[in-house]
Amino acid sequence: MNADPLADTGRPRGYDLEIRQLKTRAVAMGEWALGMVHDGWRAFSAGDLSAAQAVLDRGAELDRLDEDIEHAAIAFLVLRQPTAGDLRTAAGLLKITTHLDRVGRLGFDMARITTAGPPAGPVELRELLERMDSVVESMVHQCLEALGHDRADLARELFRRDDEVDQLHREANRIILRELRAKTSDTPRVADTLLVARHFERIADNACKVGEKTVYALTGQRRSEYLPRHRYIPYALETPTTAPGTTEHPPPG
Amino acid sequence: MIHFDRHARRKLLSHTIAVLSGLAVIAVLYPLVSIVYEAFVLGGGVLFQAQFFTAVPPNACSALSCQTVGIGPDIVGTLILIGIASGISVPVGVLAAIFASEYRARGLGRAISFTADVLTGVPSIIMGAFIYGYFVIYYPTIAYSAYTGGLALSAIMTPIVVRTTEEGLRVVPNSVREAALALGITKWKATLRIVLIAALPAVATGVLLAIMRAAGEAAPLLFTALGSNLYPTGLGHPIGALPLLIYFFALSPYSNQVKVAWGATLFLLLLILIVNIVSRLLIHRMAVRMGGT
Amino acid sequence: MLGGDKIRTEHLTAYYGPKPAISDVTLGFAEHAVSAIIGPSGCGKSTLIRCLNRMHETVPRTRVEGQVVLDGEDIYQLDPVRVRRRVGMVFQKPNPFVTMSIYNNVSAALRFNGRPSREETDRQVVRSLQQAALWDEVKDRIDAPAVSLSGGQQQRLCIARALAAEPEVLLMDEPCSALDPIATAKIEELIKKLKEEYTVIIVTHNMQQAARVADNTAFMYIGKLIEFGPTEDLFERPKESLTEAYITGRFG
Repeated sequence: MNADPLADTGRPRGYDLEIRQLKTRAVAMGEWALGMVHDGWRAFSAGDLSAAQAVLDRGAELDRLDEDIEHAAIAFLVLRQPTAGDLRTAAGLLKITTHLDRVGRLGFDMARITTAGPPAGPVELRELLERMDSVVESMVHQCLEALGHDRADLARELFRRDDEVDQLHREANRIILRELRAKTSDTPRVADTLLVARHFERIADNACKVGEKTVYALTGQRRSEYLPRHRYIPYALETPTTAPGTTEHPPPG
Repeated sequence: MIHFDRHARRKLLSHTIAVLSGLAVIAVLYPLVSIVYEAFVLGGGVLFQAQFFTAVPPNACSALSCQTVGIGPDIVGTLILIGIASGISVPVGVLAAIFASEYRARGLGRAISFTADVLTGVPSIIMGAFIYGYFVIYYPTIAYSAYTGGLALSAIMTPIVVRTTEEGLRVVPNSVREAALALGITKWKATLRIVLIAALPAVATGVLLAIMRAAGEAAPLLFTALGSNLYPTGLGHPIGALPLLIYFFALSPYSNQVKVAWGATLFLLLLILIVNIVSRLLIHRMAVRMGGT
Repeated sequence: MLGGDKIRTEHLTAYYGPKPAISDVTLGFAEHAVSAIIGPSGCGKSTLIRCLNRMHETVPRTRVEGQVVLDGEDIYQLDPVRVRRRVGMVFQKPNPFVTMSIYNNVSAALRFNGRPSREETDRQVVRSLQQAALWDEVKDRIDAPAVSLSGGQQQRLCIARALAAEPEVLLMDEPCSALDPIATAKIEELIKKLKEEYTVIIVTHNMQQAARVADNTAFMYIGKLIEFGPTEDLFERPKESLTEAYITGRFG
């Protein structure tokens, strides 16, 4: 009789090697993008123009990585005609690289808007933004870990951390608006921090999207099958009691 | 000393085998050719008398001026006997072969096949004796007649028909049967009207072989048809046949009868040859028209 | 099981001698849809469809347990010949009757199962050949021997022959595996049109073919049904790891 086809023979089977390669390259691109975020924020926060320039010079490589992976994924699709998990991974990676590219671009932009001088705004703002950077970088790190080590559980967890980022973002906005109304000489640079805070929020969002696509690639589950449905309302209508991320509808199933 | 290299050795071997094969062919053909030659020489003259084919055989006659007349009744006798024998052996043989081949799952099918195989090897005189023991003795009214003679020949023909028909059926690919069944055609219709038709050239060849064999048998007719020098008036009486005539007249001390025997031999040979060739041509045409191969 | 099943099996087990080729298969085939059965060699897919028109029992020493229900009736309680008229079959290697012309091949079912008039037969032959997308290619030589056609044409002839019997279900056992890609493409297109009038069940070892033509796909392995569902679902996110291992080429 046949040996158990599911038994682990220790040797790679089917397209294992090619899939692994694709994922590895995506993770490498993610790390490149993460580096741009990390250094982009440092440059902005320190007002260091030469550091900012270094980040800007890394943009071309980010583009190249994105294109190469897209090309490799499409070649895999056309030459191998994959199905099931292989198909979901290749198709998912096409979107994942787009999100990772955004992450890098947002770091790029932080470097772009850097101006020379000491950090802008009150200490509490600087500390808040540092905190945002820390959470956001950790989230990107987590989504890459999930992608590289096939951890659907880590990927699913990301959306929870997104709530924390949302909260920090709102708090940062509050402080920044307050500072802007105060109209100090620092105003232009304080206005820039508004962008940076928004960038952090976007980066976190993109990391969550990478997680979503990773879950899909690994299990076939679509977002609605494991995420609670969330009804969003404009910030203006939010009251202190409607804390962000409140589940207004129970998750399906 | 002659120096052989490999190539020359192979060529020599090849030619030697070719020559030996040629000699073997000659050895095999020699009896046939010599019989035809002898028959021609000794009986050829007789054939050119028109009445040879219509007149009755001559009586014993010792004068040099004795007439060598004809073999007419024996030609008719042979045809009648073959006709009766075919009428029995073809339906029985074909049906038995169909049973053996198409309904094979029952062990009976294999038994039929095996039995037919064995029977083709049984000496024809034993077949004659069998018919004698069963029919000639117990049915005195038709004891020595075309009926019993025909039965004896059919006993020889049937196993041949069974074997060749079965072989012909076996060669028909199973896909044909499956295709027919899958269309909701009943098994017997599929077998008779599709499978058997596909095997028809083989069946026809088999029947031809059986007829050729039976046409030349004298032994089984010796104590069934018995032989006669007169035109048959009915099927219930003794009847002549070419092989019987040849047997009786060849042993005759009268030269005119011996001449007739040789004439009949030549005639029978030529008949078999011509029928063989013509039938094979027709069967080949049938096969081509049906199967394209 | 689904309510719209034209034909379905209930705990079907089929034996060759003492060994079961398929075990306890319960599977429903929707009406006016194409259903494919895929699986590695020896998984029992051919045996399964041969049970659907009672061809399995034409082989000696075979046995069947369970039911095959066609429109609510167990076909094993019915006359097998009648069943085979309602459930037609096309085989892997084209097998036209070599001794017959194109016309006689297509009309075989009619001529052997009844005595319809010449006009009626003519009409049915033309219709079947049109349904099989062969009419235009043979209308000028309808009395030519069937063997004068190419492989792909012969297979379409066999399809026309099967359709002429006016079945309700058409079984196809790897119908394209003996054909070149162009002939295959023609027949796949044909299959997609046939489902408008018939229920088509196709066995194939070619997964891409199943993906191209089938609405639903079943995966079998060593005589058992592993998974069955809409084709897109089975190929995008199979439920069983065995299915995934097979379709991604990770078997063995």
